[in-house]
Amino acid sequence: MKKKILLSLFLIILVTAIGTWYYIFIYSANHHRSAEDEKTIDITASQLVTEYQTNEAASNVKYLNKALKITGEVSEIKKDQEGKTTVTIKSNDAFANVFCTLISSGSSQPVVGSKISLKGFCTGFLSDVVIKDAIVVTE
Amino acid sequence: MKIFLASIFILLSISIFAQKTYSTKTGQISFDASATVDIKAVNNQVDSKFIDNTGQMIFSLLIKSFKFANGLMEDHFNENYMESTKFPKADFKGYITNIASVNFSKNGTYSVNAEGTLTIHGVAKKISTPGTITVSNGKVTIKTLFKIKLKDFITGSYIGSQIAEEAAITVNCEYQ
Repeated sequence: MKKKILLSLFLIILVTAIGTWYYIFIYSANHHRSAEDEKTIDITASQLVTEYQTNEAASNVKYLNKALKITGEVSEIKKDQEGKTTVTIKSNDAFANVFCTLISSGSSQPVVGSKISLKGFCTGFLSDVVIKDAIVVTE
Repeated sequence: MKIFLASIFILLSISIFAQKTYSTKTGQISFDASATVDIKAVNNQVDSKFIDNTGQMIFSLLIKSFKFANGLMEDHFNENYMESTKFPKADFKGYITNIASVNFSKNGTYSVNAEGTLTIHGVAKKISTPGTITVSNGKVTIKTLFKIKLKDFITGSYIGSQIAEEAAITVNCEYQ
């Protein structure tokens, strides 16, 4: 009986150890965040750009590294140097927009001039507000 | 006659002062700081501009736009080393010192030298690096590879052991 208890105790410790090791070194290393699984902050492209232009530091606190769902009109579609699709969403200011790189060239390709909603992670503000790993939201 | 002379003068001044600004929002900058393990990341959202007759150039990028194959490494890079919430950007502002040697209307690869200030993690340092400008049917590509000493910009106990002392930075930007 004592042996059995010891054995099961040993097994439990072993499983926990392997689980912890797996989580820290394997799962975390291979797992990337997806905007699909996260609760998003919903905002229009114009609002986001205006906030960044007014106060970049405060906007970074609010939006940097957060999952956002951005809505607006597509003004440009291009490819980056790796062949990934980039989508520019118009704001009220012609010189500052929301620049998004899609995570993969999926089936629903956006069209210039159409209204769009994208989910992605905000990486900050250069001449545009920049979004990475974006996914087109189809409703 | 006066009008004729005036128009010649205007035409001449246009050809003298005509300058073109090349720009991209999808420039590529990657780095490699591998020592015992692979530490590599790519940023495909680099914003860059340069002016063809003065050689003035700027590259700006967001630290959080660097992508690693290893998600855990990406978190460590952002949180422990680059502190990308506090310092979200890095940039280089400078000049191509021998821009006159590049003929933008003739296809070819030209050797150039760039000098300027590199700012990473809030630390500004003067750098100078050789590189190339490739002109191909109006499309311009700037490439360079240079090394920086990590301890000049960031601190961290792993630098020099698991992380290399120097990071090799590769710039490959296609302009329109």
